[in-house]
Amino acid sequence: MSPAGFGPLPRKEQLILELLVENGPMYGLELVDRSAGALKRGTVYVTLGRMEAKGFVESSHEPLPAGGIGLPRRMYRPTALGERMLGAWNAFTRQLAMEVKS
Amino acid sequence: MTPPAGTHRFPGTTLRRIAPLLFSEAFIVAVVDPTIADLQAEFAAAGDNRARQLRARWRGYAAFWRVTLAAPFAALAPAPAAPSEVDAPAAPRRTGNLGTIAVIVAVLAVNRVFLGISFIVLAAAVLCAIVIHLWYERHPSDTAAPRDRSWRSPQINFSNMEVPGNIGGLIFMVGSLLVVLLGLPSVLWFLLIGAAAGSFVAWRLATWHARHPKWGLPENRIVLR
Repeated sequence: MSPAGFGPLPRKEQLILELLVENGPMYGLELVDRSAGALKRGTVYVTLGRMEAKGFVESSHEPLPAGGIGLPRRMYRPTALGERMLGAWNAFTRQLAMEVKS
Repeated sequence: MTPPAGTHRFPGTTLRRIAPLLFSEAFIVAVVDPTIADLQAEFAAAGDNRARQLRARWRGYAAFWRVTLAAPFAALAPAPAAPSEVDAPAAPRRTGNLGTIAVIVAVLAVNRVFLGISFIVLAAAVLCAIVIHLWYERHPSDTAAPRDRSWRSPQINFSNMEVPGNIGGLIFMVGSLLVVLLGLPSVLWFLLIGAAAGSFVAWRLATWHARHPKWGLPENRIVLR
């Protein structure tokens, strides 16, 4: 059983939430750079898209400068639900570790 | 972002053009566009440095094609599972453990003549199980077995095994066929023709039900009392 009736929080989603909570809003590429190899550039947006569908993160487009071309990057930030999920998951895993040790 | 001086074409333009041929709109918005945006941002940040431009292109294109490879397995998950569904994998896991023990006993019990092929079949089955497991890890909200299935005892009858119409079900079906083929290569044509005929019947049934959406609804059934 996992917290609040949600499914388990996968490791990558947990890492992304931790990075976003600690460092504030970030681009996908910044998350990859700060994850020390745990997140890959080719799959990070799949994970972020899934987390957005679950309501754990939200994103907004960066404004393009005047005369700028190309696609705008997306900035990701944790939602209140995402932060609560991370807190509940960390508490759950700590509790589980204590139960196993005792 | 502004392209470096002397650049005739911004990288990623062609990739963005072919993306609708490969991916759904939702996948493009959530995954493909940010991947291309990163490529373009890195390229713009490279300035006139050719080495950094080349590196940005290489990393960006590699990321795009990795996304393409991952896309069939990367359906964006729906909302989190309801509490009643969270415990669902427990029973299949127990069944899986029993099945694993049964397979090991069967392999150890077979005649030495068949020992080699038994290990090959076992390796294929393990590979199939690993692939399904990896898929399930990425899609914890989905399962390879239907949630609302009625109880059946399929025994060795493949046609009685229910799987949902998702990638997990497809992996199970293809993996099962592979295992049977490795054990009984002589049934290759039977399985191929059977799969083709089954697919055709399924396609005809799906199109028929699409044209007759009310057929089979409870209010249309004749009940004898």
